[in-house]
Amino acid sequence: MQLVRPESADDAVAALGNGSRAVAGGTDLVPLVRDGIVEADTLVHVSRAVPRGIDGTRIGAGTALAELEADTQIPETLREACRLAASPQLRSMGTVGGNLLQATRCWYWRLQYPCYLHGGDVCHARAGVHREHAIFGNERCASAHPSDVAAALLALGATLRTTRRTLPLADLYRLPSDDDRNVTTLAPDELILELEVPPADASAYLKAMDRKRWAFPLVGVAAARSGAEVRIALAGVAPVPWLLTSGDDLESATPLPGTAYKVDIARALVSRALTAVGSPAG
Amino acid sequence: MARLIKTEKEVEGRYEDVWLVVEEDPLEQWPAGARTIVGQETVRVDAPQRIRGEARYTADLQFPGMLHTAVLRSPHAHARVKSIDRERALAAAGVRGVLGPGEAKGLEDVAGYHGAPVAAVAAETFAQAQAALEQLGAEWEVLEPALDPDRSERHDDPNRYERGDLEAGLAEADVVVEAEYRTQSVLHNSFETHQAVCRWEGDVLEVYISTQYIWGIRDSVASELDLPPDKVRVVCEYMGGGFGSKNSPDEYTFVAAELAKRTGRPVRCALTRREENLAAGNRNATIQRLVAGARSDGTLTALGGEFVNSVGWSGWNASTDGPMRMLYDCPNVRTVVHGAKINTPPMKAFRAPGFVEGTFGLECLLDELAAKLDLDPLELRRKNYAHATNDRPYSSKNLMECYRRAETHWERRHEVRSRSDGPWKRGVGLASQIWYGGGGPPSYAWIRVGSDGRATVITAMQDIGTGTRTAMAQIAAEELGIPVDRVEVSLGDSARGPFASISAGSSTVPSMGPAVRQAAHDAKRQILEIASQRYDREERVLDLKDGDVVSTDGNLLIPLTEVVGLLDDAQVLGKGARGPNPTGMNVLTFGCHVAEVAVDVETGEVQVERIAAIHDVGRVISPLQASSQVEGGVIQGIGHTLSEERLLDPHSGAVLTQTLDAYRLPTIADVPEIVMDLVDEPDEHLTNLGSKGLGEPPIIPVAAAIANAIRDATGADVRSLPITREEMLRALREAEERAKAKDKVAAGSS
Repeated sequence: MQLVRPESADDAVAALGNGSRAVAGGTDLVPLVRDGIVEADTLVHVSRAVPRGIDGTRIGAGTALAELEADTQIPETLREACRLAASPQLRSMGTVGGNLLQATRCWYWRLQYPCYLHGGDVCHARAGVHREHAIFGNERCASAHPSDVAAALLALGATLRTTRRTLPLADLYRLPSDDDRNVTTLAPDELILELEVPPADASAYLKAMDRKRWAFPLVGVAAARSGAEVRIALAGVAPVPWLLTSGDDLESATPLPGTAYKVDIARALVSRALTAVGSPAG
Repeated sequence: MARLIKTEKEVEGRYEDVWLVVEEDPLEQWPAGARTIVGQETVRVDAPQRIRGEARYTADLQFPGMLHTAVLRSPHAHARVKSIDRERALAAAGVRGVLGPGEAKGLEDVAGYHGAPVAAVAAETFAQAQAALEQLGAEWEVLEPALDPDRSERHDDPNRYERGDLEAGLAEADVVVEAEYRTQSVLHNSFETHQAVCRWEGDVLEVYISTQYIWGIRDSVASELDLPPDKVRVVCEYMGGGFGSKNSPDEYTFVAAELAKRTGRPVRCALTRREENLAAGNRNATIQRLVAGARSDGTLTALGGEFVNSVGWSGWNASTDGPMRMLYDCPNVRTVVHGAKINTPPMKAFRAPGFVEGTFGLECLLDELAAKLDLDPLELRRKNYAHATNDRPYSSKNLMECYRRAETHWERRHEVRSRSDGPWKRGVGLASQIWYGGGGPPSYAWIRVGSDGRATVITAMQDIGTGTRTAMAQIAAEELGIPVDRVEVSLGDSARGPFASISAGSSTVPSMGPAVRQAAHDAKRQILEIASQRYDREERVLDLKDGDVVSTDGNLLIPLTEVVGLLDDAQVLGKGARGPNPTGMNVLTFGCHVAEVAVDVETGEVQVERIAAIHDVGRVISPLQASSQVEGGVIQGIGHTLSEERLLDPHSGAVLTQTLDAYRLPTIADVPEIVMDLVDEPDEHLTNLGSKGLGEPPIIPVAAAIANAIRDATGADVRSLPITREEMLRALREAEERAKAKDKVAAGSS
């Protein structure tokens, strides 16, 4: 396997596709390559090709979670989502761009069962052990998206600038379908360069885990309020980060037998998050 | 003169007669309380080596020309390997040896669980060995896996116990409680994975291995390879944890030995972390259907239990009923323990096997009983205090003193409850503990005192990470009257010292300590005899103190170096042996934990805020190492209680939690305040030390104390481990429905 380090975004894009994969912090990609889940002839290290750092509401995609966590300009929900993610070591390596693209922790997928998400016909989790799995959008694939950061950015209404386009973060994600099992709309040779994160009047992130630290969310709830408008997004509840249009959306959840408890947790955390951001609905 | 006696040896409650050679003149115990060195806080003698990375573990060993092994493991819970292509694997890059089923002990063509070893490849690098596994092209006939432990056809001969008449006891009871408890399968997950490096030196097979019992490894390997035992040398200098899973050799040892024999090269066989999570043993899951009856004053009249242990493919049936049989004075007890042979990885001993699981069930049941009787849980336990087990008295038992010391922690419950805030409900729970831990003979130690006044303890035991080197150095230094930094401890090599005990069953200090003290005493006696002749004093007025020979009349003070310096390079040699345990007595350890928890009743989050651990293990040799055992036991217990669980796919029996992101050990953020209180009263009947073991006791009552605190905080009965958010919310909902139904009945009757 080769490692290349392009100096510019254009060079990086030229090097991508055709069996090459981008790597930044490597905290998710390297294990996936090592385990043979992701195959790549070439790893394209994008640290010199992708901006890093915080400039007002603009965040370079190469910025480490540890930097976001420490910066007081960053809205609280995003700082807290970073602080509650992974471990200090992982947060100093992992980048915000990479975090948005991380793969599910579904054990069947990670152990390479020929599941729906891997291109097969069935979701092994639905009929198997699925206590950490989805309560929304789980008809074909019950995997849960693990990114705390994505939920926070979704609640904040972040937009992305890539090497090809500018898009709302919500448009980065799609549920896997019979035609396409990817959960993002990013092209193989497209790079996330920068995030535009509007400020919020108040925001919060609450997270339920199996232990106190260093665990992926069972349920993560991000809330951000601008004026009277409140946006709520959830982590760990669907194959992609999940935006709620209102607290009542939880009534339409489709939990599996082993994930019904997640709806209870989500209900409690959504209510607390609304209170935290000073929403009248809280 | 060597005196040969026949004595009882206890292994987890089973007694057998063994022949033993004992000394004529047993030593008196030291007076109770901390001594000059024993009972004082001594920093680990090998801390610098560990911190500097100089401590050599099996995982660190690199020998010139060493080959690496990869093991082909079954991807199915139940399957037969129809064929493998040995020749193709042998032809692969770097491959030097291939073993198929039957070619080393442990490699079998019928795989009874996911991860069962079938074949092995040795190559120049580990990557080459792993790549060659593909070339074996194994073809499998997949067989139906049996996965339900509750199916009676999977049960072997159960272990049965009965005293009195359970039905009569239940009929006598004013109150009866019945409940089913379940515990999960958890993994040891030692830092150092299971591994061995085997190397032939002439006609001697050297086995470097991460083990809890180097003599057991020697005997098993010698027997399997048909070698005289002394032609097998077993070395374990430093060891990265075992918790019961490294008591015996497994396929990795036999595979390395056989491949070393065939290739003439040193061979390493080391499990990866994933293999460690598949096939290195586990604490078995249990189902416990329990009943207790008591009179209205709390006197127990009946205890009964049907237990199902999911022992897996080839585990053994642990005493999950042990606490029910032993902890309380109850005239009518009946237990039956089934061991279910199913297609899951075999259980192995795991820190108080059976008793951890059984204590969760029994001690939760006792609190459910206390609630129904409206009695204080601590009082209920005192009321049913046992003074003997199976008509055998205890060599010592200070559980009542543990309860007395628990009071200050128990009394905090009113204040703790009053700190409940919004959805966070707080409460306090307690649970008792009983376990073995008396150790036993045989075990031997030598001591060498050189002309520099330094002593070396020599014994072929192992330090499994518990601080054994330090405890033995403290005992030898105390007896020899020299500072602890003048004592070296040489251990971990079957070719460099006498036979020593297994480090399992909380037995290392109680088995080895007395032998070390006796060896030190033997050396001391000789030194004083030499001084008596050289300085013309009666031996009985001489003693060793702070590195000097002194006389009790105070007018002689000669540095030890001057006395032993007379010998030039020659040395004073002492030897010691572990004497027998007291005949006809139960040698047991006792304790109790008081846990404080906070429960978020809306999200099911459980926060353990404080655990007080009070234990009676006889004399405490090394308080700092003891605190490590208590903290480690409590933390491992919290993992068992709240977050750890090996998960299997319910259809295939495949293990889903193979990595540490999926198998959730507690982190430092999960660790509560831990308060340790050891009774430190020597057992007057047990050896020249009066010390028992502390390795296992601190994990035993953790789960029940936490579950009882949760009930105190919320009224919810959690009966299944781990107490996940799902289980916590389920129990809360059940409690709420129960309360509603009760209100309805109350409303209806008014």
